[in-house]
Amino acid sequence: MTNPPWRLIRAALICPLLLSATQQALAQTEFIGADQGKLHLTAGFNDVDGAGGAGLVPLAFITGYGSSDSWGANAHVTTVNLNDFQLTAYGVAVGALDRFELSFARHELDVVHGPLDGLGVDQDIIGLKIKLVGNTLYQQDSWLPQLAIGAQYKKNKGIKDAGSVGLAGLTSPVQLGAKDDSGTDVYLSATKIFLGQSFVVDVNLRYTKANQLGLLGFGGDKDDGYSLKPEAAVAYLFTRKFAGGFEFRAKPENLGADTEDNAWDAFVAWTPTRNISLVAAYVNLGSILGPVTGRTDDQKGTYLSFQVGF
Amino acid sequence: MKHIRLMTRIACGLLFTSLAQADTLYDQMGGEAKMRAISEEFTNAILADPRINFTFANTDLAKFKQLIFEQFCNLTGGPCKYTGRTMKESHDKLNVTNAQFNALAEDLYIAFERVHVPYHLQNKLMVLLAPMQKDIVKKHPAGPPQAAPKPGS
Repeated sequence: MTNPPWRLIRAALICPLLLSATQQALAQTEFIGADQGKLHLTAGFNDVDGAGGAGLVPLAFITGYGSSDSWGANAHVTTVNLNDFQLTAYGVAVGALDRFELSFARHELDVVHGPLDGLGVDQDIIGLKIKLVGNTLYQQDSWLPQLAIGAQYKKNKGIKDAGSVGLAGLTSPVQLGAKDDSGTDVYLSATKIFLGQSFVVDVNLRYTKANQLGLLGFGGDKDDGYSLKPEAAVAYLFTRKFAGGFEFRAKPENLGADTEDNAWDAFVAWTPTRNISLVAAYVNLGSILGPVTGRTDDQKGTYLSFQVGF
Repeated sequence: MKHIRLMTRIACGLLFTSLAQADTLYDQMGGEAKMRAISEEFTNAILADPRINFTFANTDLAKFKQLIFEQFCNLTGGPCKYTGRTMKESHDKLNVTNAQFNALAEDLYIAFERVHVPYHLQNKLMVLLAPMQKDIVKKHPAGPPQAAPKPGS
């Protein structure tokens, strides 16, 4: 059993390893054709699901600092600390030709308080994103946003250590009412940089049946089908390396065992260099598994994400 | 009632004052002295940038600085005429890439910072320059990036 403090320590250990690996890769970037040709803040962040984005939501930007003639990549470690839950997310994402993006991420959720304290859930996410049209940085004379379409295949790896909370035999979210332990989200993302106003605005539509990002499976006893959920992000650019803003992500409500709410956060994002990006946020994911735990308060807390790349 | 009338008068007054003071971006940024300083520092930043400085190897720098000044002055509503070639003409044979275009934009941000232009004003000028990308960057560069040809050659 891996307890949360150890996970944090492990995340803290992974960071310098990622950084040193990146620095080694950077020494050879000319050799591998990575031009780091994008401007700060436009490429260094991975969202909670591992896609190029902000914090809770993806953006239409392609991850990595490679320009339209090149490629780039980012690795991230994210920790979300809520009242009763702790989520650790980590992964890598590669962007090519400023058009294609491939991402791999792992979620490790631990219950750290309440009646389910000790239980955990993991899932894997494979993401693909394609920029469809637009280049919002340059098209300041047009109202057209940059558009990208993405898909995320999520595979829930099951519930661990349920025996420790007296639920021996509970190994899958399907036992909580979910229809599947895997599912695919499809999303359309429109991002616009209003450079004259120093604002970035993003609106997404996500076709999803993921319960709590997929950590509680896909579809459910209340609603088995896909639903179309809106997402949005706004950010103000304080400097060319520092931004802050808000995000919103609507989530479906498929499970009788959960009263799933929408999520939002207030964040700051900083890229001191093209190789390091940091996001810190106050996040509210709404209540999680309230009907099961009797703890119906919103799950809120901190979101910290560290990414290295080129 | 009196209060509402007074507040309306103050609101209208403020609106009128702000409209009357709506300076051009040129004036907001600091006029000719600031624009020339930006042009100077921009050129310095470019020449110090190994990503793009080689493309300026044959450039007449005094003329370049004057044209940058004229262009920025003209774009921001200042009393200048831009006497250079169009962006398309002047970059046609250079095989400029997006990475180089972005490097140049970054050098301009650095120049703005050196002469203390507030960031939100920096972006107001960037808005006017960003759409030039389509005239400057070659979609499919025919060869490696090149230095501008020597004047007269």
